[in-house]
Amino acid sequence: MRVAVTGTPGTGKTTATDLVETDLEPVHLNEVIREEGLATGRDEERDSLVADLDAVADWLGDCEDLLLDSHLAHQLNVDRVIVLRCHPEELERRLTERGEPAAKAEENAESEALDVILAEAVERHGEEAVYEIDATDRDPEAVAGEIERVIDGEREPSAGTVSFIEYL
Amino acid sequence: MAEEGPDDIWGIAHVHASFNNTIITITDQTGAETLAKSSGGTVVKQNRDEASPYAAMQMAETVAEEVKAKGVEGVHVRVRGPGGNQQKNPGPGAQATIRALARAGLEIGRIEDVTPIPHDGTRGPKNSGF
Ligand SMILES: Nc1ncnc2c1ncn2[C@@H]1O[C@H](COP(=O)(O)OP(=O)(O)O)[C@@H](O)[C@H]1O
Ligand SMILES: [Mg+2]
Repeated sequence: MRVAVTGTPGTGKTTATDLVETDLEPVHLNEVIREEGLATGRDEERDSLVADLDAVADWLGDCEDLLLDSHLAHQLNVDRVIVLRCHPEELERRLTERGEPAAKAEENAESEALDVILAEAVERHGEEAVYEIDATDRDPEAVAGEIERVIDGEREPSAGTVSFIEYL
Repeated sequence: MAEEGPDDIWGIAHVHASFNNTIITITDQTGAETLAKSSGGTVVKQNRDEASPYAAMQMAETVAEEVKAKGVEGVHVRVRGPGGNQQKNPGPGAQATIRALARAGLEIGRIEDVTPIPHDGTRGPKNSGF
């Protein structure tokens, strides 16, 4: 089984997936894309590589039993999609504390307020495969525990359980 | 696309379309002055199919009446958010909202998609947009 842990940068994906106890193999896709050069180009304005998702899919091959950590993980073939959510104000704070530039923190916070990743995840995989977890006031261990519940089939799918649009 | 004459008053309709909510704000051309705002578009979960176009229509009618009373004849549209270009999503959506603004009697000018892109040293390929 392939499980995606997606969500806007700053929601706590990498921190939480590093704490998850599972037989699935954790893969941090951001690192893979950078190290393997799986990109079609560069977005200079955002200081970001434009991911080549076909190349990422090829790189994963037919490996199953993966826990994919990335804000792009929902754009791959996976069985379950966990979408971590975080209030945009808290998200902006987390990214700024992580040392990110203000413009990056802001655009990601706005993406979170508009549910951009949740919408993409539901569009591609359907609501029955999406598991939304609000990580705003949860510590990383608790978020990891929720991820484990999804992997173990102990949690029902959910989407649209939070609304951050008033942040805008 | 509607033509904007030299003496016509036009505004900008900012449409924020999230997964299950839409906010419409109409400002003047500089974006500085808010002429009308409606954020009543929360779509109740139990009633998504019906509520979506209905909510968009209600909101669009309200703001259109308000700005028409202030002499505005048409709007350029700036869409932010995924609600509009992804059909399975339950929010009223940008496209439904734009159609509703037109039906409520406003001319529609340029439509621009300014949806933010999540990024973290990597980003996804561009969406097809709308
Ligand atoms: N549950 C949490 N509560 C508070 N802060 C957190 C939490 N999870 C992560 N953080 C902090 O927020 C920042 C972003 O976390 P990170 O795991 O890098 O997010 P992502 O991988 O989703 O971009 C880091 O500085 C991290 O220490
Ligand atoms: Mg990360």
